[in-house]
Amino acid sequence: MRFSKKKVEKGERSSEMKKLYSNKLVITSLVLPGLLLFVFAILAPICLSVYYGFTDYSGMGNFNMIGLENYKTLMHDKVFWLALRNSLFLAVGFICIQHPLAMIVAAVLDKLGKRSEGFFRCVYFIPNVISVAVIAYLWKFIYNPDFGLLNNVLKAFGYTGKINWLSQQNAIWSVLVVLIWHGFGWGMLIYYTGIKNIDPVLYEAAAIDGANQRQTFLKITLPMMKGVIQVNVTMAVISALKQMETVYLLTAGGPNNATQFTANYLYQQAFKAFKYGYGNAISVVFIIICLVVTVALNKIFEDREG
Amino acid sequence: MIGTCVYDFCTAIIQITTKTVTKGVNIMKKKALSILLTMAMAAATLAGCGNSSTSAQPAESKQEADAASADKASEEKAPAAEGEAVTLKLFSNLPDRKNGQGLVEQMIIDEYMELYPNVTIEVETLDEEAYKTKFKAYSMEGMPDVVSIWGQPSFLDEVLEAGVLAELNEADYADYKFLAGSLDGFRKDGKLYGLPRNTDIEGIYYNKKMFDDNGWKVPETYDELLALAKTINDAGIIPMAMDGGDGWPMAIYFSDLLFKITGDYRELVSNALATGDFSDPAFVQATQLLKDAADAGLFQTGYDSQDYGTAMNLFTNGQAAMFYMGSWEASMALNEDIPQEIRDNIRVFTMPVVEGGKGKATDIEAWNGGGYAVSAGSAVKDEAIRFLNFMYQPDKLSKYGWENGVGMSAQDQTEYMTGEETELQKQFVELVNNATNTSGTTVNDCGPSAFKTRIESEIQGVSNGSSSIEEFLTAIGESCK
Repeated sequence: MRFSKKKVEKGERSSEMKKLYSNKLVITSLVLPGLLLFVFAILAPICLSVYYGFTDYSGMGNFNMIGLENYKTLMHDKVFWLALRNSLFLAVGFICIQHPLAMIVAAVLDKLGKRSEGFFRCVYFIPNVISVAVIAYLWKFIYNPDFGLLNNVLKAFGYTGKINWLSQQNAIWSVLVVLIWHGFGWGMLIYYTGIKNIDPVLYEAAAIDGANQRQTFLKITLPMMKGVIQVNVTMAVISALKQMETVYLLTAGGPNNATQFTANYLYQQAFKAFKYGYGNAISVVFIIICLVVTVALNKIFEDREG
Repeated sequence: MIGTCVYDFCTAIIQITTKTVTKGVNIMKKKALSILLTMAMAAATLAGCGNSSTSAQPAESKQEADAASADKASEEKAPAAEGEAVTLKLFSNLPDRKNGQGLVEQMIIDEYMELYPNVTIEVETLDEEAYKTKFKAYSMEGMPDVVSIWGQPSFLDEVLEAGVLAELNEADYADYKFLAGSLDGFRKDGKLYGLPRNTDIEGIYYNKKMFDDNGWKVPETYDELLALAKTINDAGIIPMAMDGGDGWPMAIYFSDLLFKITGDYRELVSNALATGDFSDPAFVQATQLLKDAADAGLFQTGYDSQDYGTAMNLFTNGQAAMFYMGSWEASMALNEDIPQEIRDNIRVFTMPVVEGGKGKATDIEAWNGGGYAVSAGSAVKDEAIRFLNFMYQPDKLSKYGWENGVGMSAQDQTEYMTGEETELQKQFVELVNNATNTSGTTVNDCGPSAFKTRIESEIQGVSNGSSSIEEFLTAIGESCK
């Protein structure tokens, strides 16, 4: 008796919920907050950026509409293209160095088991927890030619010269190392979760068939992780494109724009050089590039899946 | 607008975290207070989109205020507005309220509030770069009443064009003992919009004890300086600490050389800025000399990526023999964070003469940079101007500044000399008294801010050899168009 009563109540409740959900007012009130947030925090600023991109606004006072002038300047702006190239370099670095490493480490971790697994998982994730500013300053000190850790370690091995890690030629590589190190834990954690989600039965079957570790990794782990890899690569590319704070604090784009990235350059133009209009033009082009890259990435993965 | 807020917020966050870290690694512990101030600023920025504002509480340094001068000032009590509660907002680029210039500013504020209990002064502070960003945001949403400004085209041109600063009556300042020419940078079309706080002199600080112990002599020509660089390097010491990561100190170095070459670069630079043509042989020579210095190993390895604090630390830790910086760092001699052996031995000389150059040894790179102004849109403009004038009474900014070893003010300070000044201070006074000519605004600050940003970045490339002198001069010319 009691049981059936409960069931009835439950049924009533779910039909009530259904009614509620089909009420347009309710739907609107549920969707509206998210929509408003999107419109005012994302869409409106983008529209404003497009508008300001057509002006010579300095950030203060009056401004004039100058049509496509900013975009024409942008086409010939060497620093912008350099910054964009650096952003892409970073993305390639992430995909080719950081992610394969992260995946291998995740696979090894999975095999460790017990306490050491938890310990190393934690250790590798630590850089992610530390604030970007701490990271930047930490590495600034590590790279310092006079009292930095790196040169002192080299000295211990008998090398007496002073390597300038953040010189015009080396800086971009040094920055890449910091960013790879910083983002490594995050990528690894996602791969690790992906590996943990693979059905152990598959491994058992492989073991019975006599597959060695390498075969298991290549034939089972890797194919089963396709979705995870897709997510990770997309995230890596996006984070490479919008890289700003670490570089801003570590090198501020210097020396002489050697480590300039698009987001940092945009900031410098809009707020340091009093070219707000131009900065907005850069941001519009930047948004388009980001969209194109994301769409392209999705297409690539779609094709593979198909 | 929202975009601005977002950026503004990001800068604030970066500022806060930078500060926290800086404190963590113990470079500038004295700046601890600025973290709090910056955090307050972050809150203000968050609320900034809604046009509200939060202000940082003034630091407690009342005890330090000079009671005697408070009495003196009380004789000239305010005629109007007495009893009526007034709140003044002060926006300042001096986050460190315990040392140097920031302490002086706070002392005057506390004194003023004590004198006029009806007036509350709310202080908001940010470091220079973040300050300039926020200043711009304020110019769109309404300025605080009294603000820090820079009397240089790279900052003031855009600001005056936007009309956000109130005009001041120049006749009011006849007895304020401003040094001749110090107000020039703050005028536009014959009208005065701000008052200068400092006279900045660029110098080469050196460790006298280190020089004496090693038998090194203060160089009298540029060639001697470069030769000295080699000698010092051979001794395993860094010859000169240079904050090359920021770009502007090197741009000042470039200006310093240009001044020694030309004897007066005002016209040359203003013509070049107007035409975008920097091919004059004087520019080429100045660039070459800067490059020679870098090639000769005058600066530390990696100078082009190191910041102010790192460079200064090399000098104050005794790892570098010299440090290229302005007179505002004269308070190093009083800074107890610096080991006494070094602190007591800091002396200064100016850029040595360049062979064949028109500038004499006594022609010094000096200018009037920072200062204060009143917002044109201030609801309490009269009160704000009254406070501004109070700060500039010769026995306030000038006197307190002098007593705190801040450096030279833009007003005549001779009567405040006690004879107990640090050797460094005396040297700076001597430099000014013996000066046969001063350079005026440094080259990077002579043009619009796009020019400033460009030259400060390109100069890193030309000094480290990754771009040629020609490329450098063409690039900075381009940014003027």
